[in-house]
Amino acid sequence: MKKLHIIGLLIIAIAIGVIFISLNNTSSYADFSKAASSPEDEFHVVGKLDKTQPQIYDPQVNPDEFTFSMTDNKGLTKQVVLHKSKPQDFEKSEQIVLIGKMQSDVFHANDILMKCPSKYNEAQNQVN
Amino acid sequence: MDTIKYIGERVLIGQLGHGFVILSFVAAFLAFISFYLANKNNTLLNFARLAFKTHSIAVVGIIVVLFIMLLNHYFEYQYVFQHSNREMDMKYILSCFWEGQEGSFLLWTFWNVVLGLILNKQLKNSEWEAPVLMIFALVQVFLASMLLGIYIGDYKIGSNPFLLLREHQDYFNIPVLQNPDYVSKLQGRGLNPLLMNYWMTIHPPTLFLGFSSTLVPFAFAVAALYNKQYQTWQKIALPWTFFSVLVLGIGILMGGAWAYEALSFGGFWAWDPVENSSLVPWLVIVAAGHTMIINKNKGGSLFTTHFLSITSFLLVLYSTFLTRSGVLGNASVHAFTDLGMTGQLVLYVLTFVFISVALLLNNSLLKVTYVVISLLLWFATFLYGYKKIMLGVWGATSIGLTVFAYYKYFPKEKDEEELYSREFWMFVGSILFLLTSLIITYFTSVPVINKLFGTDKAPPKPFVYNEWMLPFTVLLMILIAATQFLKYKKTNAKDFYKRLLKTFAISLLFGLACCIPLYFINNTNEISNYNLIFYTLLFTTSLFCVFANIDYWVIVLKGKTKKAGASIAHIGFALIILGALISTSKKVTLSKNTSNQKLSTLGSDFDDRKSILLKQGDTLPMGPYLVAYKGKRKEGINYMFDVEYFKLGKDNKPEYEFTLSPRVQDNPRMGRSPEPDTKHYLNRDVYTHVTYGVMEMDTTKTFLNGYSDAKNYVGHVGDTIIASNALVVIDSIRANKTQEEYLKNDSTLIVTAVLKAITSQSKIYYAHPEYIIKNNVVIPKEDTISALGLKFVFWKINPQEGSVEITLSEKNSNTKDFIVMEAYLFPHINILWIGCIIMAIGTGIAVRERLKVLKT
Repeated sequence: MKKLHIIGLLIIAIAIGVIFISLNNTSSYADFSKAASSPEDEFHVVGKLDKTQPQIYDPQVNPDEFTFSMTDNKGLTKQVVLHKSKPQDFEKSEQIVLIGKMQSDVFHANDILMKCPSKYNEAQNQVN
Repeated sequence: MDTIKYIGERVLIGQLGHGFVILSFVAAFLAFISFYLANKNNTLLNFARLAFKTHSIAVVGIIVVLFIMLLNHYFEYQYVFQHSNREMDMKYILSCFWEGQEGSFLLWTFWNVVLGLILNKQLKNSEWEAPVLMIFALVQVFLASMLLGIYIGDYKIGSNPFLLLREHQDYFNIPVLQNPDYVSKLQGRGLNPLLMNYWMTIHPPTLFLGFSSTLVPFAFAVAALYNKQYQTWQKIALPWTFFSVLVLGIGILMGGAWAYEALSFGGFWAWDPVENSSLVPWLVIVAAGHTMIINKNKGGSLFTTHFLSITSFLLVLYSTFLTRSGVLGNASVHAFTDLGMTGQLVLYVLTFVFISVALLLNNSLLKVTYVVISLLLWFATFLYGYKKIMLGVWGATSIGLTVFAYYKYFPKEKDEEELYSREFWMFVGSILFLLTSLIITYFTSVPVINKLFGTDKAPPKPFVYNEWMLPFTVLLMILIAATQFLKYKKTNAKDFYKRLLKTFAISLLFGLACCIPLYFINNTNEISNYNLIFYTLLFTTSLFCVFANIDYWVIVLKGKTKKAGASIAHIGFALIILGALISTSKKVTLSKNTSNQKLSTLGSDFDDRKSILLKQGDTLPMGPYLVAYKGKRKEGINYMFDVEYFKLGKDNKPEYEFTLSPRVQDNPRMGRSPEPDTKHYLNRDVYTHVTYGVMEMDTTKTFLNGYSDAKNYVGHVGDTIIASNALVVIDSIRANKTQEEYLKNDSTLIVTAVLKAITSQSKIYYAHPEYIIKNNVVIPKEDTISALGLKFVFWKINPQEGSVEITLSEKNSNTKDFIVMEAYLFPHINILWIGCIIMAIGTGIAVRERLKVLKT
């Protein structure tokens, strides 16, 4: 067997390994109820800010804790504790992606991604 | 509708621009056809050159027209309206030009034209001229079509940058645009303020020249496959390939520097899909260049040189698709708007994959089989759907046939490579580069995989990339260090080990001496065991790489810089890795807040307390510093938050060190975006950004009735009043006349208290509240120190005690204004930047030397 063949086989083995491991290890998108069913695992939950519920951010007490409520794509609303400072422009967000774990009915997020409304569609205001 | 006659529309210039677009497309197509024919028969060569030149002129024409329109504010054109305005500084006009997608395609097209013309001159009348330029022209046909903006049925081909605002799909139904005099009313939207910096002027052209330059080795490889000339092109393509390595490398690192300086990623590399998709072609082009070196010195590596050169360009196309189709959605901080060209982009990527695979199958029967299968699958998709399955079958067929063709038909070396030979390990290194690029591509493509297979995997976090890259980088460092000491063909193993032993021993000692205190004794970041092992290995091996390459440069090459391009570039690369390792693994969160309970059930990701609350006037300890938030300033749309840093000096007195002003931009297009501010030292950076702040300036509102309840102080001259942000000394009491004079004349007596306020930073302010007696009535006149938000009223004099009474009220915002800030210390990040410069210099030297060799 040629040395190059050994290298080729090694590469294939590593490639399969990467795919296999990453399939098992990375978190996935889910809704709140799925996240609640496995509280040890990290999920990405997509949803919208529930503006009727209070938003609590008191940096005097803890600058790394921001509490609000989000409605996931299935329509379920849960309390969220974001373990980070309150993001700028939070109220304007159209869609939220939370990354974290659901424990005892509260979703604890360690990161947040927000989609703000695209101003590209606000052509009307721009022209006037 | 059609009857409206618009006043002041400059329609002609737009038509001229679009005329150039069509000309560039047609000329590129003619150039492609005629170079294709000239490849067989030289008679058409002159016509082909002419067509390519015409295409080049047309491309320059498009650019000139667009510039004229931008410079003269022709806002009736959508592109001008969208990306510029009258108030904008003219130095950003270039940034406006390539802010939009059409402009960036134009930039890419332009660089291709420049490279194509240079190549045409270099290859004139050689056997490579026609086939290489044929591929160039083909790529230009596709790129030029991205600007066409023509509808065929329901399919839109390209996006025309010369569209009038009222013709554009986003704007055409707006009532204002029905006004015949609308042109005079228009104001452009202007450039996104986030992009108004010098990075936006230099980063895109560099990066696109990098992307563009990958076309050269691709064109050679495809031309070689087409003409079945597998052996000779690598020599000519070699300097071009390393030119690509150089420019694309600089482009990527500029992106990293931009992110570090001006974006709040919290570092120089975030494994963002947009970053990855420029890194991946670079990794592959590096691999391609190294296999070409093997080919040049020893022959062989035919399949890999072709395969890697082609793959690098295909990955550039794939990146374009990833970043411009909107498929990444929530996965990227870079927001590219979808121009509705996703279908077109997919088609282009698939077309070029198809062409490449068809040519790699160097057997007529296989080629025909592949073309037939591809066409059948395509028709089947049209008739029955099942796009994903068809795509999967096609992908598998492409890979399967390529592997088969490689084994069966591709010319290969007969003898096996020696284990102790340079070419063998250089080859292994190239394959490692390819492998890492495949892994990164796979991780980056998770959103695409989700779309294809209906899965719901989340994109991996940066640490996943880091952990995967660690072992590969360790191996690469060893290979880069050791391989140079092997000779081509065969080397005496004993000599080789003897030669390297000393360098390795020094690196190991040095590495352990650094790593044991850094990681094992002082494991502040709670690094896992896996990472501890690999950090130590990577630290040691990257040192080994630096030392071995210096050794090679000084001893073997006798210090000749001209010959040492490769060694210098390798030193630079190893330093980049070392700098990245130290600054990332020993990154210190200075702003750690300690006020919290640990959330042990959630895991370590949630324990990362990284914010600090700074109230105006307070001085708080933060890491080795004392920090004080001084207040905010508004400059245009930027809010600057001034934070002063002190260190405890002798006698525990705080000594002023520096001021950082991280800002938040109130961007009308994107909302509020923080921009960091960094203090650079030789051996570390202090990096800060504001994550939350009160943005309102609150001037008039709080000034009127925003003061807290007054507190009264009774004191003598020399006494001190304590305010929350200053010590106020009663400096002196002055009267405009003596008491006797006042009593005699019965006029106005004004007694002034001179109050000296000293802040914690020893800044001095004065206030002069007055105690006025007029006709026996006391009328106190207040005075304020607005910078500190202090208001004083001098309202009583007690002649018996010789004391005065003064009230102090403080502005509410003294207690209210605050920011939440993150601060990090990046140790030794300069090693990384120095590495970048060294690598660029080394690669530059290597390119120059290779060009010289080519000319002689």
